[in-house]
Amino acid sequence: MFDDPNAVTGTEREHFASCGECQDRHAKTSADATDATRLLALPAATFDADAAYKRVTEAPSQAPRFGFRLPILRQSSRRPIAVLAFAVVLAVIATASANVAQIFAPTQVKPVPVTVADLQSLPDLSTYGTFAWSKEPQPQIGVTAANAEQVAGFSAPNAGTLPSTVSTNVTYVVVPQAVATFTFSAAKAQAAAAAQGKTLPPMPAGMDGSTLTLTVGPALIEVFGDLKQGSTSDVSQLELPQLIVAESKAPVVTSTGVSVTELEDYLLKQPGITPQLAADIKAIGDPTHTLPIPVPVGYATSSDVTVQGVQGVALGDNTGAGAAVVWIKGNVFFVGGSLKQSEILTIANQLR
Amino acid sequence: MNLEAASERSRHALSSEQDSFEALFKAEYNRVAGIANRVLGDAQEAEDVAQEVFIDFHRLHSAKAQYAAAWLYRASAHTALNRVRGRRRREKREHAAAPDEAGQALDPQRIAEANEERRRLRTALARLPQKPAAVLVLRSSGLSYAEVAEAVGVSTGQIGTLLRRAESALRKEVNRESPE
Repeated sequence: MFDDPNAVTGTEREHFASCGECQDRHAKTSADATDATRLLALPAATFDADAAYKRVTEAPSQAPRFGFRLPILRQSSRRPIAVLAFAVVLAVIATASANVAQIFAPTQVKPVPVTVADLQSLPDLSTYGTFAWSKEPQPQIGVTAANAEQVAGFSAPNAGTLPSTVSTNVTYVVVPQAVATFTFSAAKAQAAAAAQGKTLPPMPAGMDGSTLTLTVGPALIEVFGDLKQGSTSDVSQLELPQLIVAESKAPVVTSTGVSVTELEDYLLKQPGITPQLAADIKAIGDPTHTLPIPVPVGYATSSDVTVQGVQGVALGDNTGAGAAVVWIKGNVFFVGGSLKQSEILTIANQLR
Repeated sequence: MNLEAASERSRHALSSEQDSFEALFKAEYNRVAGIANRVLGDAQEAEDVAQEVFIDFHRLHSAKAQYAAAWLYRASAHTALNRVRGRRRREKREHAAAPDEAGQALDPQRIAEANEERRRLRTALARLPQKPAAVLVLRSSGLSYAEVAEAVGVSTGQIGTLLRRAESALRKEVNRESPE
């Protein structure tokens, strides 16, 4: 009667006309509504959306929750971010590859501080050769636990009892093993550098034409939270979750023609690699067995922790809004989410 | 697949997402800020809330998500209501020392009355449970029953009842705040 008077039937109207109780209730409801409307009435305010958008995009981006926050990216910062993943892979390779066919088999993790300046000045390493997947990573999202385990070849990690704030809805994602090769090309590297008016240090003998082969995965990822997704093929439609638990086979790298020392020296001398970053990578010490974890300085903090009886790296942003821990115990494990670091560590330690 | 192609696709995806976010921002900003203003009665603070809500959304969701507008409306109402709750606690502490907003007004009596009514409304809204408060604010900001329902996550058929109960609860709370 109140929301849609036109929907009231004749019988209802007749009843209303003769029912004092209904009339009283209607009068009270009307008075409540009138009062609420009066109280909530405001002179119309105007807002300038264009100016607001400019303010938002030009303001310094907020400190990201590590791994869970997508800061608004200004045009100038997009390219370095786009090449970051590959740069990190090559940083790993640079510190890990040894003589011909030497296998990179990390058994421990260590943090490497990375500044925004580092990221913005990283060279585009795709110009140093040709990168190709011989077996592309093909994530399968929303499969059953059994399917995920079958593809991964190992059991899904059991996170045990979770904080009450974490949804019990789990989405399984499995990424079968993927293999990529990178073939160095001195000519391509020099040409790309020359086009930008830069000169590169000469490639060490035997590096030109040599190939690195990187094998990653399989990986099994458990995503806790109510995922909303447009389609399983569009990852951008996923709402980022409260908790991610992931397990992956450790990456393996083989090299056909360059030693770890030569490769590391060469890559760390490239224009754009800051002396501090080079020093931090060099300081890793045991590159063949160490997986460097980039930690954005000023946005996230890292600390050494003991997880499942081995050394791990705990990451958390400075607001305490998110945390993660990475460790290697046979496989590489990751637990992260918008929880306190203590909660993340508890989950990591009870993982079975 | 080579890296150049992958990088190009990444760049394209980022650019497309950024464009979608800009379109979403410009289409919904006035409404999102209006909802916050309905609660706060302060256009500047409402804009702060709206911008915070958009940044949170961008951080966590795709601008192409179908639920984008509903998410923004709900977040704006909740964020503004939370600010009022925080402000209430602050005001209680600072009440004795702080000069009233009307102190600098040209028409002190009238402005003081309006301010008092706004204060009572904010206090009452802050005392209501989150959902009824959000329903009231969203509806009074011009959202249809269907839009309010989507924003608070109930069926459209429930909105009428929720709204009536919320109006009644608001009136009781405001009267509780009124001087005898």
